Amino acid sequence: MIITRAIAGALLALFLLSSHSLAATHSFRLLYINDFHGFAEPGRPYGADVRMGGAAWLAAKVAFLRKEKPSLFLAAGDVLQGDNWTNLSQGQASVQLLNLMGLDALVVGNHEFDFGSDTLVKRISEARFPVLGANVEGLAALKPYVIRDVGGARVAILGVVSEETPFATHPKNVAGLTFRPVVETVARYLPEMRSKADIIVVLSHLGYAADRALADRMPGIDVIVGGHSHTRVDVPSRVGNTVIVQAWEHGKALGVLDVTIEGRNVTAIEGRLEEIRPDMGEPDPAVLSLVGKYREEADAVLEGRAGETDVDLNGADVRRRETNLGNLVADIMREVSGADAAIINGGGIRASIPKGPILVKNVYTVLPFNNYIVAIRVSGKGIRQALEHGVSGVETGAGAFPQVSGLSFVYDVTAPPGSRVGEIKVGGRPLDPGREYTVATNDFLAAGGDGYKSFGEAVRSSPDFAITGGAMKGEKLVYSDSGRWLRDVVIQWLGKRDRIKPEVENRIKEAR
Amino acid sequence: MNVYVNDEKYDLLPGMTVRHALVAAGLLEQVGEGKSVYDQWGNQIGLAGALSESEKIYVR
Repeated sequence: MIITRAIAGALLALFLLSSHSLAATHSFRLLYINDFHGFAEPGRPYGADVRMGGAAWLAAKVAFLRKEKPSLFLAAGDVLQGDNWTNLSQGQASVQLLNLMGLDALVVGNHEFDFGSDTLVKRISEARFPVLGANVEGLAALKPYVIRDVGGARVAILGVVSEETPFATHPKNVAGLTFRPVVETVARYLPEMRSKADIIVVLSHLGYAADRALADRMPGIDVIVGGHSHTRVDVPSRVGNTVIVQAWEHGKALGVLDVTIEGRNVTAIEGRLEEIRPDMGEPDPAVLSLVGKYREEADAVLEGRAGETDVDLNGADVRRRETNLGNLVADIMREVSGADAAIINGGGIRASIPKGPILVKNVYTVLPFNNYIVAIRVSGKGIRQALEHGVSGVETGAGAFPQVSGLSFVYDVTAPPGSRVGEIKVGGRPLDPGREYTVATNDFLAAGGDGYKSFGEAVRSSPDFAITGGAMKGEKLVYSDSGRWLRDVVIQWLGKRDRIKPEVENRIKEAR
Repeated sequence: MNVYVNDEKYDLLPGMTVRHALVAAGLLEQVGEGKSVYDQWGNQIGLAGALSESEKIYVR
């Protein structure tokens, strides 16, 4: 009798569960951004003729669209790092902004690790929204997934981040962390989430191509809200039964996806991107105030003292000869990366600094570009080619003119370009053309910028890279810190010293 | 990492972005002059967008 009652009860519960899951129709809205990177203030993107973005206008749009339907507001990674507005508070500004906007969930992007995992844990503790990272092992503050009830539908949101994150930040930032394979992670959690929810959303920081591949391999996902590739998906795309969306970058667009489900089946999907511009509607006053507050704080940091120099730092002649400012920047790059030598383009140094206090904003003016340090194994022959290229346009003041550290060389401007460089010494010893040296440079030159080909050729000759135990292992790339701009590295370095007095040391000699 | 810009192959370091691919291809200035970058599915992509192995992008 007891057994019969238990069976009857179980059947009734199953019936009720089934009737809820199979018959009920629910409609809700997903609002989403990705790759915000702290661009809270409207700006004019490279090549654009209008100002775009602006968190206060984004917030107003989110609030307006939330009133129309039960909604979830999601962010697909890379919100803490990028623009100075957030960098100068190590991402705190972005967290406070998303708190104010009522974010429902964030997946960590690779750049969330750029201030180190301790700072990330602090930022997570300040967040009034869950921070997801199902495939990240070693960071307990991250949740694998959450389930939210919206408009009567139970929505499971699983967060995954690129397995290549250790390539894209300094190794110390991800020390002790393991980035598990995404497909394996999704396969692990999918049945569990399916038993608790009506619809499965993957909040992904993998990139659009990887999102498509994931949908192809894991057909049980209903929606992928993506990021990482900064892709402007104007109309939701489909791979099998999975809908894939992404909302460009920097808060220049807000994604809107209206979903209707019957039981556990998606019966209707309609999506679009709403462009965000400061000339479209009124801003959210509370968010506008918060953005202004952190701008004032960032400006105060820029007015702060970075260090002090006993000599004028010459940034005016960096395209024609060795200067003490060129030496200083190259020395810092070599020291920080642990490389044998450093070669940078004089054109990357844009101003001088007079003797006396060095303000943070002075360093920002000297190094205005968002460049980061990389170090590559380059042959002695490759170093010679790089220096030959560097002095090939010295007569015209070309930006390629090198500023160096850990090496010295002689060149003859009267010789034809390509055969001007004479003796080269690395670490005080004659260059061995057949030996490999580690050379620090910036990412711009490493990609072939200013016509530098040697670094690219070194990369081309490298076997595949691999990630072992969460750390980057590569034959040619020995250092990469894409999360810290060179200027911030210089400021940190200056902050550890009372005074500096860099000199010209005859590292670059013109034969006469 | 190999990527293709306007069907020409370029080698980049892991973690490099659309901007680096355009620097390698000498096409960054064209974006400054008003052109945009698209992925192989025709979606516009930002300069800081991550790239994946063998990805094809187009400037137009």
